[in-house]
Amino acid sequence: MAKLTMKKIELAAPLTDSKKIIELLQRRGVVELCSNSEEGLEKTSVSAVTGEFERFRNTASQALDALERYAPEKPGLSDLLGGRIEIEKHDFGKEAMQLEKILNVAAEINRCDKTAADAQAEAAQLEVTCDTLRAWLPLDIPMNFRGTAATTAFIGTLPVQYSEEQLTELLPEGASAEVISGSKEQTNLFIICAKEVAAETEEVLRKNSFVSIAGTDKRTPAEAVEDYAKQRKELLEKAKAAGETIESLAEKRKELRFAVDYLTMRKDKYDALNALGFTGSTFILTGYIPEKYTESIRKEIESRYTAAITFTDPGEDEDVPVLLENSRFSSPVEGITKMYAMPSRADVDPTPVMSFFYYLLFGMMLSDAGYGLVMVIGTVIALKKFKLEESMRKTLTMFRNCGISTVFWGTLFGSWFGDIVQVVGREFFGKEGGSLALWFEPIADPIKLLLFSFGIGILHLFLGVAVAFKMSWDKGKKLDAILDAVPIYLFITGVAPLGASILSEVPAPLMKIGTYMTVAGVVLLLLTAGRTSKSIPGKLFGGLYALYNTATGWLSDILSYSRLLALGLATGSIAGVVNLIGTMPENKIVKLVLLIVVFIVGHTANLAINLLGAYVHTDRLQFVELFSKFYTGGGREFEPLTVNTQYIKFKEENIND
Amino acid sequence: MTNGMVLAIIGAALAALLAGIGSAKGVGLVGEAASGVVSVDPSKFSKVLILELLPGTQGLYGLLTAILLLSRIGIIGGSPVSLTTEQGIAFLVASLPIAIVGLISGMVQGKTAAAGVGITAKKPDHNGKAIIMAAMVETYAILALLISILMIYNIAV
Repeated sequence: MAKLTMKKIELAAPLTDSKKIIELLQRRGVVELCSNSEEGLEKTSVSAVTGEFERFRNTASQALDALERYAPEKPGLSDLLGGRIEIEKHDFGKEAMQLEKILNVAAEINRCDKTAADAQAEAAQLEVTCDTLRAWLPLDIPMNFRGTAATTAFIGTLPVQYSEEQLTELLPEGASAEVISGSKEQTNLFIICAKEVAAETEEVLRKNSFVSIAGTDKRTPAEAVEDYAKQRKELLEKAKAAGETIESLAEKRKELRFAVDYLTMRKDKYDALNALGFTGSTFILTGYIPEKYTESIRKEIESRYTAAITFTDPGEDEDVPVLLENSRFSSPVEGITKMYAMPSRADVDPTPVMSFFYYLLFGMMLSDAGYGLVMVIGTVIALKKFKLEESMRKTLTMFRNCGISTVFWGTLFGSWFGDIVQVVGREFFGKEGGSLALWFEPIADPIKLLLFSFGIGILHLFLGVAVAFKMSWDKGKKLDAILDAVPIYLFITGVAPLGASILSEVPAPLMKIGTYMTVAGVVLLLLTAGRTSKSIPGKLFGGLYALYNTATGWLSDILSYSRLLALGLATGSIAGVVNLIGTMPENKIVKLVLLIVVFIVGHTANLAINLLGAYVHTDRLQFVELFSKFYTGGGREFEPLTVNTQYIKFKEENIND
Repeated sequence: MTNGMVLAIIGAALAALLAGIGSAKGVGLVGEAASGVVSVDPSKFSKVLILELLPGTQGLYGLLTAILLLSRIGIIGGSPVSLTTEQGIAFLVASLPIAIVGLISGMVQGKTAAAGVGITAKKPDHNGKAIIMAAMVETYAILALLISILMIYNIAV
């Protein structure tokens, strides 16, 4: 349980077996390699090979992207949950043989994709040109017309709008202008003038910022537009054809995914070779391996290859990776531990410590049996029906367990989709239903639940202190362990009834015992908390400081558990409001229809909001309140050399052949 | 309806109003920062979502206080009690801790969580630390909530 013991593995074998051994380790996925920096060993450079794999993989994944754009796959729910396709080992060999063919397909897809993109860009460009030319359509002479023997022609544009009268005034005698088209921003003009006044006309035009469009194009604007439209159509057809080619290759999607994964694996394998040290004819591999796999790996490798394997304990100052393993009850919560930080070398794994309380606190915060049932049913169906990744399976299992706890608390507090049972009874059958609570309804006596929440909180925190106690004890600091835990237990247990008496009645004997325990705890704290200090005043102030810290720290920690009440009440009151809205109309049939709609929409929204709230605040209670008592974290997660695939997965039994 | 009743209802409204505004501002602030991170790396969505939700609790506490106050004076779940003006003022004052602390801590927690989004962006593994830093701010909202609830339950009617 908890953190797995790590061993250091050192393997020496002939060079000829290096790839096969690495491949074996990769498929088992239980060894994390570390770079071998021992002197006297040569390193190998594999960057050329890995670069090649990387390039091939990019080709394949680009092709997949293109496929996704041209022939998108309809995602089903099981895709969303992220299951990978399982593949048999002999299939794997068969597909690997066809790699070249698949890569050719990928190249073909990428080529078509580029053709289509280029054609579309060009077509868009032509469209812009056509738009400009359309303003010139009434001009029925070629665009490169420069005049006749006796005349000079100007074709072009003047900024701002001119009428023909204005232009006649502007231009010298012997020149005439025709407005082809115009807008507020510009006027498109055809001007013809006698050769003698050509220079003068040009001068006038230049002053008014005339821009000539005269080019070498022999076509009239109308002809040009027609030509361009034809070209554009051809380009679009080309793009469409390319797109269709890609679509026709959509059936190769599976093979392409395989290629991406296969190349990733190959690349990882060669990267692993980088970490090895070589002598002339042997290689040396070092890494970390969980102790429980050591014997099976040794047997497997030694039975097939000539190799010398030694397992040693890692040194004190080594950065040993951490792998968690927990019981079926606790392991779903491992994700929460990882979210905070992996345990460091000195830490225990906090997962089994917090798992029970995780489910408990979550259930109290959501605290509606109906919502809990929805969670349980939803997660159980997902777990049964879909092939799930391990991490997703754990998360769903965690929510299933939290759902069970929610049903438990919801039943105690009598909340089933808020008060839907009572509401339906009252509105449709005219019967006043009583409370369904097996214990009590929080809204009827919030103070009772508040005190109960604090009680749960104190137990939760005491568990944290107990773990800290055990950690110190195991390290041999037995006195410290006792002196850190006992005064706090005395103090908090003693103060609890005194604090509770502010809110509610507490029996007198309990108050008396509480007072004695508090005094005992305070005295112990004052006397012992400053024990690390050398001088007498130091010890005294240390004690006072510890007392102050304990009092304020624990006060805020315990009060923090009031969120159990707050979030539970929030779920219940919003659910009640939803039911209230649904039953507002007088007419029974209208009421029934409205209630069904409001029920589905309203409770879905309420469940979503409060699910998130319960998740975040359960995390917070674990991270801030519990972990501060014993946990630091900061370890590095175990990252074995493994088959790191995106789309395919090897069937387990084939891995163990 | 007596003056006292009106004052008490104003108190309930203030608790829901101010704490709600604080949370809305806080959540909004984090949301802006979070959107920036998600635009670069959509896979961080769930992590930043948690940070975004942290300043949302003040609004919840305000709501809770308002509901408790309303149920105490019988507006919901019973028959309205008759309150003197002094009792009304007392209820109004009792709602102020969570109203004001909720308003301010919601906004400040929003800033802290928005800064925490930076941690999530650069060092996603240390996301938990960002959550804790933002959650620290909330302690004071919880203390205010507690005082508000204690006062509401101990004002004699």
